[in-house]
Amino acid sequence: MNAMLKADAGAAKSMPLVETEEHRRHGGSHSPAPRDAACYHCGQPLPADATPIDGRQVCCAGCAAAAAWIEAAGLDDYYRLRTDAGNRIEALDADLSAWDRPELQAGHVRDADDGTREATVALEGLRCAACAWLVDRALSAQPGVRAVSVNAVTGRLHLRWDPARTRLSELVGRLAALGYRAHLAQGAAREAGRRRARNAALLRLGFAALVAMQAMMFSEALYFDAGGDMSVATRDVFRWLAFALTTPVVFFSGWPLLAGMARELRLRAPGMDTLAGGAILVAYVASLVETLRGGPEVWYDAAAMFVLFLTVARLLEDFARQRAGAQLDLLAKAQPVLACRERDGVREWVPSAALAPDDIVVVPAETAVPADAVLLDEPARLEEALLTGESTPVAKQVGDPVLAGSVCRMQALRLRVTAAGADTRLSELADRVAAAQAQRPPLAQLADRVARHFAIVLLVVAAVAAIAWSFVEPARALPIALAILVAACPCALSLATPAVLSSVTSALVRGGVLVLGPQALARLARVDTVVFDKTGTLTTARASLAGVRCTGAITPERALAVAAGLERDSGHPLAAAFAGLESIPARDVRCVPGQGVEGTVDGATWRLGHARFAGLADDDTALWLAREGVPMARLAIRHEPRPGAVALVEALGHAGLSVMVLSGDNEDAVSATCLELGIANWRARQGPADKLAAVRDRQAAGYTVLAVGDGSTDAPLLAGADVSLALAGGLPLAHRAADLLLLGDDIRRIPGMLALARAARRTIHQNLAWACAYNLAAVGAAAVGALPPVWAAAGMVASSLLVTGNALRLGRARP
Amino acid sequence: MTSLLVLLPVSLVLLGLAVATLAWATRSGQFEDLDAASVDPLGDDRRPAASSAEEARDGD
Repeated sequence: MNAMLKADAGAAKSMPLVETEEHRRHGGSHSPAPRDAACYHCGQPLPADATPIDGRQVCCAGCAAAAAWIEAAGLDDYYRLRTDAGNRIEALDADLSAWDRPELQAGHVRDADDGTREATVALEGLRCAACAWLVDRALSAQPGVRAVSVNAVTGRLHLRWDPARTRLSELVGRLAALGYRAHLAQGAAREAGRRRARNAALLRLGFAALVAMQAMMFSEALYFDAGGDMSVATRDVFRWLAFALTTPVVFFSGWPLLAGMARELRLRAPGMDTLAGGAILVAYVASLVETLRGGPEVWYDAAAMFVLFLTVARLLEDFARQRAGAQLDLLAKAQPVLACRERDGVREWVPSAALAPDDIVVVPAETAVPADAVLLDEPARLEEALLTGESTPVAKQVGDPVLAGSVCRMQALRLRVTAAGADTRLSELADRVAAAQAQRPPLAQLADRVARHFAIVLLVVAAVAAIAWSFVEPARALPIALAILVAACPCALSLATPAVLSSVTSALVRGGVLVLGPQALARLARVDTVVFDKTGTLTTARASLAGVRCTGAITPERALAVAAGLERDSGHPLAAAFAGLESIPARDVRCVPGQGVEGTVDGATWRLGHARFAGLADDDTALWLAREGVPMARLAIRHEPRPGAVALVEALGHAGLSVMVLSGDNEDAVSATCLELGIANWRARQGPADKLAAVRDRQAAGYTVLAVGDGSTDAPLLAGADVSLALAGGLPLAHRAADLLLLGDDIRRIPGMLALARAARRTIHQNLAWACAYNLAAVGAAAVGALPPVWAAAGMVASSLLVTGNALRLGRARP
Repeated sequence: MTSLLVLLPVSLVLLGLAVATLAWATRSGQFEDLDAASVDPLGDDRRPAASSAEEARDGD
């Protein structure tokens, strides 16, 4: 997961908002990074001390090994075929032997009949079709592997191997060496169920397509006999053949529709399935009756084609939804299946779900933490990329909380569990995303309600039309009622909104934006003011030196050298500002948290930090350097704007949005940043309550406000704005208030995200307008007898496809 | 019309074959991996030699 998120961020960075010259030249996809600046394998920037290995510029030994293996195995086409850079290869020496443990394999690995074993594994880092190709080829080349199938969309790898010739750990190791981290897919049974359901749906669709076409052919023969020249016997042969073919189409392929109709009738809530199933059954039964009594017309083709068309529409909708859902499954993967519990000095492996608060667990290096816990024994640095989008490890002290899903690369950890299983923050996040996905947004609910009323009205209309026509021209009463039922099917109407939403949600997820609030997309489209809470959202945490002012007793050069010496090994966040400066060595350096650093230079005690720490009154605009309690120099520090912040503000301005900064920082810092970014509207020294009041003001003036924050002091602000976006690096609390979560902290995606939301709203309106207009027109035409049932069915599907296609158009966009 | 006596059974047999093929394809997982196939023909036609794969594995 870490690699995935990191790489996502990387990919997004290489994809600027404004298409660059180079981007266009490469068609925006191939050869993701120029060779001289980036790793040949993973495309990440090369470290300064990188030396070519085997003539390739690679960033680390892992990538070198992967590239060498890929070439040796004759798979170097991968580099030509891929559309996205590979994963950085990390730590080849991870112990994978746990993959062979029976307790881990239980419930995930099945024994096949011929002595082979099979398993489905969730793979992290599959980016494009070439990844799937590489994994397929790489594993197929391993001895003992019988079957490999990779699905790059869902990130699933299905494996069948001969346990006598290879082990699962070996195969997983091969994948790890290529940069794909494997996870046991949670809920193997559910996974298998999903595969079965998908295969059943495909079979139903394929069967309907083949057989309904043939039924159509036989019915076609009957249509050609307009003059009635065909002998009754021949005609009946064709009718019975059509019957024989239509029957399995209706009851096999159309089974989900009929089951849906039965369910709706049981709940006394007739809806779309009732309308569709009713039309199919009416056509089928009426045709059978006509066949038996030798009537003038049959409608088997209408029944069969209707089933086919509806099945196509349903499958398309399912695929769109699955595509969105598969990306989110990644969240659930990160929690390891097994945990090592220590009890009374004895260590044993237990399922992570069996952990309870206050259990002591031992987590090996390179393994994800199985539960939320507090750190025991010794400080450690943990990667929390999955939870925060931040890939640099975070230092934790003894007693600090550690979140499930974070990884310590350097050392083993001992932890005391505080929350396990479904109570961890990771599970909570996954649940929130899942809940947001499952929730039908209000707009879609409205469409559903309309569709349901529509269905009841249309059933009545069809009955009335049938009765009316039975007085005028009895022979046409049934086909016209049928045509009305088919034409009325509000498939397109109820597809219009969900298709757009799932398509946009999945586009957003691919761009690193998780949609959590049900209203988020609808409101996002109306946003006209973007409020950035605190400058930290627009600037990086990395500080740089803006200026030095000295009292007479010291030269600026010396002041800087002393400061650099004090900061050099302090690990202080501001140390980056002094990196690379000439420094005078300092001894006894001591870091005072929240204050500054203190140390001895040339026999005198120096302090660098807040004005008060350095012995001055208030001045929170700069750092002060003091010698033996006497202020010597004022060092102005500024925070660099985040990459792309200027472009972001410009793009927002172009899109007609007003931008505002509400910051808790001092005036100097905020005005400097805002001047550089071209933001005229800013307020400094804002507390949480002031920020909320400012947003309320804006809302009262009729603006729709998007609040963007990193979440440390802005939970009320995020909750108070119309829509809120939290940078995932923020604190847990913010996520609860935020409607949208930006993974990877790349703020340049914001304009794209807004544009996508607007496009979504536009598309939903188009779809609804089209669906309503089409249904009304078609029902009208059918009622006056101008639309035969088969054409009504074809029109219904064309309309659904149009609506779905219009929605899927958005799925290609990238925020 | 006697041609129908041949053509109708032929169409049904062909249909049966098509359905059987479809059922086989679905069951044997032909629709599982729809991604690797799209780039397969773009690659060169050499099978990864087992020996070189072995060597590389020993090497890392």
